[in-house]
Amino acid sequence: MHEQPDAADLLETARALLLAELLPALPASHAFAARMIANAMAIAARAARDATAWPAPPDAALIRAGAYDPGTPQHDEIAARLLAMARARCAVSNPRALRDD
Amino acid sequence: MDDARRAAVEGYLRSVSGDAALRIEAASLLSGGAIQQNWALDVVRHGAPEAWVLRTDNAATLAVSLPRAAEYALLRAARAAGVTVPEPLFLCEDPAIAGAPFFVMRRVAGVAAGHRVVKSETLGGGRAALAQAMGRELARIHSIAPPRDDLAFLGAAPVDAGRAFIAAQREALDRQREPRPALEWGLRHLERTAPPPVPARLTHNDFRTGNIMVDDGGITAVLDWEFAGWGDPAADLGWLCARCWRFGNVAREAGGIGPRAALYEGYGAVEDARVRWWELAAHIRWATIAIDQAERHISGVERSLELALTGHIVPELELEILRMVETRDA
Repeated sequence: MHEQPDAADLLETARALLLAELLPALPASHAFAARMIANAMAIAARAARDATAWPAPPDAALIRAGAYDPGTPQHDEIAARLLAMARARCAVSNPRALRDD
Repeated sequence: MDDARRAAVEGYLRSVSGDAALRIEAASLLSGGAIQQNWALDVVRHGAPEAWVLRTDNAATLAVSLPRAAEYALLRAARAAGVTVPEPLFLCEDPAIAGAPFFVMRRVAGVAAGHRVVKSETLGGGRAALAQAMGRELARIHSIAPPRDDLAFLGAAPVDAGRAFIAAQREALDRQREPRPALEWGLRHLERTAPPPVPARLTHNDFRTGNIMVDDGGITAVLDWEFAGWGDPAADLGWLCARCWRFGNVAREAGGIGPRAALYEGYGAVEDARVRWWELAAHIRWATIAIDQAERHISGVERSLELALTGHIVPELELEILRMVETRDA
Protein backbone atom coordinates (compact mmCIF):
# COMPACT_ATOMS: atom_id res chain seq x y z
CA MET A 1 0.00 0.00 0.00
CA HIS A 2 1.00 3.63 -0.47
CA GLU A 3 2.95 5.53 2.16
CA GLN A 4 1.02 8.08 4.24
CA PRO A 5 0.12 10.95 4.06
CA ASP A 6 -2.23 10.17 1.18
CA ALA A 7 -2.93 12.09 -2.03
CA ALA A 8 -5.69 14.27 -0.56
CA ASP A 9 -3.59 15.22 2.47
CA LEU A 10 -0.60 16.14 0.30
CA LEU A 11 -2.73 18.25 -2.03
CA GLU A 12 -4.41 20.07 0.86
CA THR A 13 -1.12 20.72 2.63
CA ALA A 14 0.59 21.93 -0.54
CA ARG A 15 -2.36 24.17 -1.35
CA ALA A 16 -2.30 25.76 2.10
CA LEU A 17 1.39 26.57 1.66
CA LEU A 18 0.77 28.01 -1.80
CA LEU A 19 -1.96 30.33 -0.49
CA ALA A 20 -0.22 31.30 2.76
CA GLU A 21 3.35 31.89 1.58
CA LEU A 22 3.65 31.98 -2.20
CA LEU A 23 0.54 33.90 -3.31
CA PRO A 24 1.27 36.98 -1.13
CA ALA A 25 4.85 37.08 -2.47
CA LEU A 26 3.85 36.86 -6.13
CA PRO A 27 3.48 39.89 -8.40
CA ALA A 28 -0.16 40.68 -9.22
CA SER A 29 0.30 39.43 -12.79
CA HIS A 30 0.75 35.87 -11.46
CA ALA A 31 -2.00 35.90 -8.85
CA PHE A 32 -4.64 34.53 -11.25
CA ALA A 33 -2.42 31.57 -12.17
CA ALA A 34 -1.71 30.86 -8.49
CA ARG A 35 -5.43 30.93 -7.67
CA MET A 36 -6.16 28.56 -10.58
CA ILE A 37 -3.51 26.17 -9.24
CA ALA A 38 -5.02 26.36 -5.74
CA ASN A 39 -8.48 25.65 -7.19
CA ALA A 40 -7.21 22.66 -9.19
CA MET A 41 -5.53 21.25 -6.06
CA ALA A 42 -8.73 21.68 -4.05
CA ILE A 43 -10.80 19.85 -6.69
CA ALA A 44 -8.23 17.04 -6.91
CA ALA A 45 -8.13 16.70 -3.10
CA ARG A 46 -11.93 16.49 -2.87
CA ALA A 47 -11.98 13.94 -5.71
CA ALA A 48 -9.35 11.85 -3.89
CA ARG A 49 -11.50 11.85 -0.72
CA ASP A 50 -14.78 11.24 -2.57
CA ALA A 51 -16.42 7.89 -1.78
CA THR A 52 -19.72 8.41 -3.62
CA ALA A 53 -21.44 5.18 -4.57
CA TRP A 54 -22.68 6.34 -7.96
CA PRO A 55 -26.08 5.08 -9.09
CA ALA A 56 -26.47 4.09 -12.74
CA PRO A 57 -26.99 7.33 -14.68
CA PRO A 58 -30.40 7.67 -16.34
CA ASP A 59 -30.35 6.77 -20.04
CA ALA A 60 -29.76 9.98 -21.99
CA ALA A 61 -31.47 8.66 -25.15
CA LEU A 62 -34.64 7.80 -23.23
CA ILE A 63 -34.70 11.25 -21.64
CA ARG A 64 -34.36 12.77 -25.12
CA ALA A 65 -37.20 10.59 -26.43
CA GLY A 66 -39.53 11.82 -23.69
CA ALA A 67 -39.75 8.48 -21.81
CA TYR A 68 -39.46 10.28 -18.43
CA ASP A 69 -41.55 13.39 -19.15
CA PRO A 70 -43.76 14.79 -16.37
CA GLY A 71 -46.74 12.46 -15.91
CA THR A 72 -44.80 9.29 -16.78
CA PRO A 73 -44.38 6.67 -14.02
CA GLN A 74 -40.61 7.12 -13.61
CA HIS A 75 -40.46 10.92 -13.87
CA ASP A 76 -40.07 11.70 -10.17
CA GLU A 77 -37.49 8.98 -9.56
CA ILE A 78 -35.35 10.00 -12.55
CA ALA A 79 -35.55 13.69 -11.61
CA ALA A 80 -34.46 12.88 -8.04
CA ARG A 81 -31.58 10.70 -9.27
CA LEU A 82 -30.34 13.44 -11.62
CA LEU A 83 -30.44 15.99 -8.78
CA ALA A 84 -28.55 13.66 -6.42
CA MET A 85 -25.86 13.04 -9.04
CA ALA A 86 -25.49 16.75 -9.83
CA ARG A 87 -25.13 17.52 -6.11
CA ALA A 88 -22.49 14.82 -5.68
CA ARG A 89 -20.60 16.17 -8.70
CA CYS A 90 -20.79 19.74 -7.30
CA ALA A 91 -19.43 18.49 -3.97
CA VAL A 92 -16.18 17.74 -5.82
CA SER A 93 -16.10 20.41 -8.54
CA ASN A 94 -17.54 23.41 -6.65
CA PRO A 95 -19.15 22.88 -3.21
CA ARG A 96 -20.14 26.56 -3.08
CA ALA A 97 -22.84 25.74 -5.64
CA LEU A 98 -24.57 23.70 -2.90
CA ARG A 99 -25.06 26.68 -0.58
CA ASP A 100 -28.54 27.36 -1.99
CA ASP A 101 -29.76 23.84 -1.14
CA MET B 1 4.87 40.31 -30.88
CA ASP B 2 8.37 39.62 -32.23
CA ASP B 3 10.24 42.20 -34.33
CA ALA B 4 9.60 40.49 -37.68
CA ARG B 5 5.87 40.22 -37.10
CA ARG B 6 5.67 43.80 -35.84
CA ALA B 7 7.56 45.06 -38.90
CA ALA B 8 5.24 43.11 -41.21
CA VAL B 9 2.16 44.56 -39.50
CA GLU B 10 3.64 48.06 -39.64
CA GLY B 11 4.36 47.66 -43.35
CA TYR B 12 0.82 46.52 -43.98
CA LEU B 13 -0.68 49.42 -42.00
CA ARG B 14 1.50 51.86 -43.96
CA SER B 15 0.02 50.53 -47.17
CA VAL B 16 -3.63 50.83 -46.09
CA SER B 17 -3.71 53.79 -43.68
CA GLY B 18 -2.81 56.58 -46.07
CA ASP B 19 0.40 57.28 -44.15
CA ALA B 20 3.51 55.68 -45.66
CA ALA B 21 5.46 56.89 -42.60
CA LEU B 22 3.09 55.37 -40.00
CA ARG B 23 4.96 53.98 -36.97
CA ILE B 24 4.02 51.39 -34.35
CA GLU B 25 5.50 52.88 -31.19
CA ALA B 26 4.45 50.04 -28.88
CA ALA B 27 2.65 46.69 -29.12
CA SER B 28 1.57 44.86 -25.96
CA LEU B 29 -0.61 41.81 -25.46
CA LEU B 30 -3.88 42.64 -23.73
CA SER B 31 -5.68 40.08 -21.58
CA GLY B 32 -7.79 38.28 -24.14
CA GLY B 33 -10.16 35.35 -24.36
CA ALA B 34 -9.31 31.70 -24.87
CA ILE B 35 -9.81 32.10 -28.61
CA GLN B 36 -8.26 35.41 -29.67
CA GLN B 37 -5.18 37.48 -29.19
CA ASN B 38 -5.68 41.20 -28.71
CA TRP B 39 -2.71 43.53 -29.02
CA ALA B 40 -2.72 47.17 -27.94
CA LEU B 41 -0.97 49.20 -30.64
CA ASP B 42 0.27 52.73 -30.01
CA VAL B 43 0.75 54.20 -33.46
CA VAL B 44 1.72 57.56 -34.90
CA ARG B 45 -0.28 58.36 -38.04
CA HIS B 46 0.29 61.63 -39.89
CA GLY B 47 2.38 62.73 -36.93
CA ALA B 48 -0.37 62.29 -34.32
CA PRO B 49 -0.65 59.47 -31.74
CA GLU B 50 -3.54 57.04 -32.07
CA ALA B 51 -4.55 54.09 -29.87
CA TRP B 52 -5.58 50.96 -31.76
CA VAL B 53 -6.24 47.28 -31.05
CA LEU B 54 -5.09 44.49 -33.33
CA ARG B 55 -7.28 41.40 -33.05
CA THR B 56 -6.19 38.00 -34.33
CA ASP B 57 -6.61 34.30 -33.58
CA ASN B 58 -4.82 31.90 -31.33
CA ALA B 59 -3.43 28.85 -33.11
CA ALA B 60 -6.25 26.60 -31.92
CA THR B 61 -9.72 28.10 -32.20
CA LEU B 62 -13.23 26.88 -31.52
CA ALA B 63 -15.00 25.74 -34.65
CA VAL B 64 -18.08 27.76 -33.71
CA SER B 65 -16.35 31.14 -33.63
CA LEU B 66 -16.41 33.42 -36.65
CA PRO B 67 -13.20 34.34 -38.47
CA ARG B 68 -11.77 37.83 -38.14
CA ALA B 69 -13.13 39.03 -41.54
CA ALA B 70 -16.64 38.19 -40.41
CA GLU B 71 -16.19 39.92 -37.07
CA TYR B 72 -14.95 43.01 -38.90
CA ALA B 73 -18.09 43.05 -41.10
CA LEU B 74 -20.26 42.66 -37.98
CA LEU B 75 -18.56 45.62 -36.30
CA ARG B 76 -19.25 47.74 -39.38
CA ALA B 77 -22.90 46.67 -39.50
CA ALA B 78 -23.36 47.22 -35.76
CA ARG B 79 -21.75 50.65 -35.90
CA ALA B 80 -24.07 51.64 -38.75
CA ALA B 81 -27.05 50.51 -36.64
CA GLY B 82 -25.99 52.79 -33.79
CA VAL B 83 -24.52 50.10 -31.53
CA THR B 84 -21.65 51.33 -29.37
CA VAL B 85 -18.68 49.41 -30.79
CA PRO B 86 -15.02 50.25 -31.41
CA GLU B 87 -14.56 51.86 -34.83
CA PRO B 88 -13.27 49.17 -37.24
CA LEU B 89 -10.31 50.53 -39.22
CA PHE B 90 -8.51 47.94 -41.37
CA LEU B 91 -8.89 44.26 -42.20
CA CYS B 92 -6.01 42.06 -43.33
CA GLU B 93 -7.14 38.68 -44.64
CA ASP B 94 -3.63 37.61 -45.72
CA PRO B 95 -2.37 35.17 -43.06
CA ALA B 96 1.23 35.67 -44.21
CA ILE B 97 1.49 39.15 -42.63
CA ALA B 98 0.89 38.39 -38.93
CA GLY B 99 0.60 34.57 -38.91
CA ALA B 100 -3.22 34.71 -39.05
CA PRO B 101 -5.80 37.13 -40.47
CA PHE B 102 -6.29 40.20 -38.28
CA PHE B 103 -8.16 43.45 -38.09
CA VAL B 104 -7.44 46.76 -36.42
CA MET B 105 -9.98 48.82 -34.54
CA ARG B 106 -9.79 51.96 -32.46
CA ARG B 107 -8.93 51.30 -28.80
CA VAL B 108 -11.69 52.19 -26.37
CA ALA B 109 -11.13 52.96 -22.69
CA GLY B 110 -13.13 51.35 -19.93
CA VAL B 111 -13.63 48.33 -17.71
CA ALA B 112 -15.18 45.07 -18.88
CA ALA B 113 -14.14 42.53 -16.20
CA GLY B 114 -17.39 41.07 -14.88
CA HIS B 115 -16.39 40.71 -11.24
CA ARG B 116 -15.45 44.43 -11.13
CA VAL B 117 -18.51 45.72 -12.97
CA VAL B 118 -21.02 43.86 -10.76
CA LYS B 119 -19.41 45.25 -7.58
CA SER B 120 -19.59 48.88 -8.67
CA GLU B 121 -22.50 51.14 -7.82
CA THR B 122 -21.30 53.90 -10.14
CA LEU B 123 -19.79 52.34 -13.29
CA GLY B 124 -21.85 52.88 -16.41
CA GLY B 125 -23.74 55.74 -14.73
CA GLY B 126 -25.22 53.55 -11.96
CA ARG B 127 -26.90 50.18 -11.92
CA ALA B 128 -30.35 51.00 -13.30
CA ALA B 129 -28.94 53.38 -15.91
CA LEU B 130 -26.45 50.77 -17.08
CA ALA B 131 -29.08 48.03 -17.29
CA GLN B 132 -31.27 50.39 -19.34
CA ALA B 133 -28.36 51.26 -21.62
CA MET B 134 -27.69 47.55 -22.19
CA GLY B 135 -31.32 47.17 -23.23
CA ARG B 136 -30.96 50.01 -25.72
CA GLU B 137 -27.79 48.49 -27.20
CA LEU B 138 -29.53 45.13 -27.64
CA ALA B 139 -32.53 46.77 -29.32
CA ARG B 140 -30.16 48.43 -31.82
CA ILE B 141 -28.43 45.10 -32.53
CA HIS B 142 -31.83 43.49 -33.05
CA SER B 143 -32.81 46.19 -35.56
CA ILE B 144 -30.51 44.38 -38.03
CA ALA B 145 -32.65 41.93 -40.02
CA PRO B 146 -31.85 39.32 -42.68
CA PRO B 147 -31.09 39.07 -45.52
CA ARG B 148 -27.92 41.20 -45.66
CA ASP B 149 -25.31 40.86 -48.39
CA ASP B 150 -22.58 42.18 -46.08
CA LEU B 151 -23.45 39.48 -43.52
CA ALA B 152 -23.93 36.61 -45.99
CA PHE B 153 -21.36 34.55 -44.04
CA LEU B 154 -24.00 34.14 -41.32
CA GLY B 155 -25.92 31.79 -43.64
CA ALA B 156 -29.67 31.47 -43.88
CA ALA B 157 -31.76 32.63 -40.94
CA PRO B 158 -33.39 29.79 -38.97
CA VAL B 159 -37.14 29.41 -39.39
CA ASP B 160 -37.44 28.46 -35.73
CA ALA B 161 -34.41 29.55 -33.70
CA GLY B 162 -35.53 27.72 -30.55
CA ARG B 163 -35.86 24.35 -32.24
CA ALA B 164 -32.64 24.95 -34.18
CA PHE B 165 -30.92 25.59 -30.83
CA ILE B 166 -32.20 22.30 -29.39
CA ALA B 167 -31.06 20.36 -32.47
CA ALA B 168 -27.61 21.99 -32.46
CA GLN B 169 -27.11 21.29 -28.75
CA ARG B 170 -28.08 17.65 -29.21
CA GLU B 171 -25.59 17.37 -32.06
CA ALA B 172 -22.93 18.87 -29.80
CA LEU B 173 -23.78 16.37 -27.05
CA ASP B 174 -23.62 13.48 -29.52
CA ARG B 175 -20.00 14.45 -30.26
CA GLN B 176 -18.96 14.19 -26.58
CA ARG B 177 -17.22 11.24 -25.02
CA GLU B 178 -19.79 10.93 -22.19
CA PRO B 179 -23.60 11.12 -22.22
CA ARG B 180 -24.95 14.13 -20.33
CA PRO B 181 -28.35 13.15 -18.88
CA ALA B 182 -28.81 16.40 -16.91
CA LEU B 183 -28.32 18.49 -20.06
CA GLU B 184 -30.65 16.14 -21.97
CA TRP B 185 -33.21 16.72 -19.19
CA GLY B 186 -33.00 20.46 -19.76
CA LEU B 187 -33.16 20.14 -23.56
CA ARG B 188 -36.21 17.87 -23.37
CA HIS B 189 -37.92 20.45 -21.15
CA LEU B 190 -37.09 23.16 -23.70
CA GLU B 191 -38.55 20.98 -26.46
CA ARG B 192 -41.76 20.45 -24.48
CA THR B 193 -42.17 24.17 -23.75
CA ALA B 194 -40.76 25.85 -26.88
CA PRO B 195 -42.38 29.20 -27.71
CA PRO B 196 -43.62 29.77 -31.27
CA PRO B 197 -40.97 31.11 -33.65
CA VAL B 198 -40.45 34.82 -34.32
CA PRO B 199 -38.78 36.50 -37.33
CA ALA B 200 -35.00 36.21 -37.00
CA ARG B 201 -32.82 39.22 -36.17
CA LEU B 202 -29.10 39.66 -35.64
CA THR B 203 -28.23 38.21 -32.24
CA HIS B 204 -24.87 38.89 -30.59
CA ASN B 205 -24.90 35.54 -28.74
CA ASP B 206 -22.36 36.58 -26.12
CA PHE B 207 -23.92 39.83 -24.87
CA ARG B 208 -23.17 39.55 -21.16
CA THR B 209 -21.38 41.19 -18.27
CA GLY B 210 -17.68 40.82 -19.04
CA ASN B 211 -18.16 41.61 -22.73
CA ILE B 212 -19.61 45.11 -22.22
CA MET B 213 -16.97 47.78 -21.66
CA VAL B 214 -18.07 50.67 -19.46
CA ASP B 215 -16.70 53.81 -17.86
CA ASP B 216 -18.28 56.17 -15.33
CA GLY B 217 -20.46 57.73 -18.03
CA GLY B 218 -21.92 54.60 -19.63
CA ILE B 219 -21.19 51.88 -22.16
CA THR B 220 -18.04 52.51 -24.20
CA ALA B 221 -18.08 49.32 -26.30
CA VAL B 222 -20.01 46.10 -26.92
CA LEU B 223 -17.22 43.56 -27.45
CA ASP B 224 -16.68 39.99 -28.69
CA TRP B 225 -18.90 39.51 -31.73
CA GLU B 226 -17.49 36.16 -32.80
CA PHE B 227 -20.61 34.12 -31.93
CA ALA B 228 -23.15 36.42 -33.65
CA GLY B 229 -25.81 34.96 -35.92
CA TRP B 230 -29.44 35.17 -37.01
CA GLY B 231 -31.74 34.14 -34.19
CA ASP B 232 -34.49 34.89 -31.70
CA PRO B 233 -33.75 38.31 -30.11
CA ALA B 234 -34.96 36.98 -26.74
CA ALA B 235 -31.92 34.66 -26.74
CA ASP B 236 -29.65 37.67 -26.11
CA LEU B 237 -31.82 38.92 -23.22
CA GLY B 238 -31.87 35.40 -21.74
CA TRP B 239 -28.08 35.00 -22.02
CA LEU B 240 -27.53 38.35 -20.29
CA CYS B 241 -30.02 37.60 -17.48
CA ALA B 242 -29.01 33.96 -16.93
CA ARG B 243 -28.03 33.38 -13.33
CA CYS B 244 -24.73 31.81 -14.42
CA TRP B 245 -23.69 35.17 -15.92
CA ARG B 246 -24.46 37.37 -12.88
CA PHE B 247 -20.94 36.95 -11.48
CA GLY B 248 -22.27 36.00 -8.05
CA ASN B 249 -24.51 39.07 -7.76
CA VAL B 250 -27.63 36.95 -8.30
CA ALA B 251 -30.18 39.46 -6.98
CA ARG B 252 -29.40 41.83 -9.87
CA GLU B 253 -31.11 39.88 -12.59
CA ALA B 254 -29.77 41.91 -15.51
CA GLY B 255 -26.27 40.45 -15.68
CA GLY B 256 -25.53 40.97 -11.97
CA ILE B 257 -25.62 44.70 -12.72
CA GLY B 258 -29.14 46.03 -12.33
CA PRO B 259 -32.85 45.31 -12.22
CA ARG B 260 -34.42 43.25 -14.98
CA ALA B 261 -37.18 45.88 -15.27
CA ALA B 262 -34.61 48.55 -16.20
CA LEU B 263 -33.13 46.30 -18.90
CA TYR B 264 -36.59 45.60 -20.34
CA GLU B 265 -37.48 49.31 -20.20
CA GLY B 266 -34.36 50.21 -22.15
CA TYR B 267 -35.06 47.46 -24.68
CA GLY B 268 -38.71 48.18 -25.43
CA ALA B 269 -41.30 45.43 -25.92
CA VAL B 270 -40.19 42.22 -24.18
CA GLU B 271 -41.98 38.87 -23.99
CA ASP B 272 -40.80 37.82 -20.53
CA ALA B 273 -41.77 34.13 -20.81
CA ARG B 274 -39.71 33.82 -23.99
CA VAL B 275 -36.69 35.39 -22.25
CA ARG B 276 -37.07 32.89 -19.36
CA TRP B 277 -37.06 29.97 -21.84
CA TRP B 278 -33.80 31.28 -23.27
CA GLU B 279 -32.37 31.66 -19.75
CA LEU B 280 -32.62 27.91 -19.28
CA ALA B 281 -31.19 27.49 -22.80
CA ALA B 282 -28.29 29.76 -21.78
CA HIS B 283 -27.24 27.41 -18.96
CA ILE B 284 -27.28 24.45 -21.35
CA ARG B 285 -25.31 26.35 -23.98
CA TRP B 286 -22.69 27.50 -21.46
CA ALA B 287 -22.38 23.90 -20.22
CA THR B 288 -21.73 22.52 -23.73
CA ILE B 289 -19.18 25.31 -24.38
CA ALA B 290 -17.46 24.45 -21.08
CA ILE B 291 -17.40 20.76 -22.03
CA ASP B 292 -15.87 21.68 -25.42
CA GLN B 293 -13.23 23.87 -23.76
CA ALA B 294 -12.26 21.12 -21.31
CA GLU B 295 -12.11 18.69 -24.22
CA ARG B 296 -9.48 20.86 -25.92
CA HIS B 297 -7.33 20.29 -22.84
CA ILE B 298 -8.20 16.59 -22.38
CA SER B 299 -7.60 15.77 -26.06
CA GLY B 300 -4.25 17.58 -26.03
CA VAL B 301 -5.24 20.14 -28.69
CA GLU B 302 -4.40 22.87 -26.17
CA ARG B 303 -3.14 21.84 -22.74
CA SER B 304 -4.25 24.58 -20.34
CA LEU B 305 -5.19 24.71 -16.66
CA GLU B 306 -7.78 27.41 -17.40
CA LEU B 307 -9.52 25.16 -19.96
CA ALA B 308 -9.24 22.18 -17.58
CA LEU B 309 -10.93 24.10 -14.76
CA THR B 310 -13.68 25.34 -17.09
CA GLY B 311 -14.84 21.72 -17.30
CA HIS B 312 -15.45 21.75 -13.55
CA ILE B 313 -18.09 24.48 -13.99
CA VAL B 314 -20.35 21.90 -15.67
CA PRO B 315 -21.73 20.24 -12.48
CA GLU B 316 -23.00 23.55 -11.03
CA LEU B 317 -24.64 24.37 -14.38
CA GLU B 318 -26.29 20.93 -14.37
CA LEU B 319 -27.61 21.56 -10.85
CA GLU B 320 -29.02 24.94 -11.88
CA ILE B 321 -30.61 23.42 -15.02
CA LEU B 322 -32.31 20.70 -12.95
CA ARG B 323 -33.57 23.26 -10.42
CA MET B 324 -34.92 25.51 -13.19
CA VAL B 325 -36.73 22.60 -14.88
CA GLU B 326 -38.23 21.51 -11.54
CA THR B 327 -39.52 25.04 -10.89
CA ARG B 328 -40.84 25.50 -14.42
CA ASP B 329 -42.62 22.11 -14.41
CA ALA B 330 -44.23 22.69 -10.99
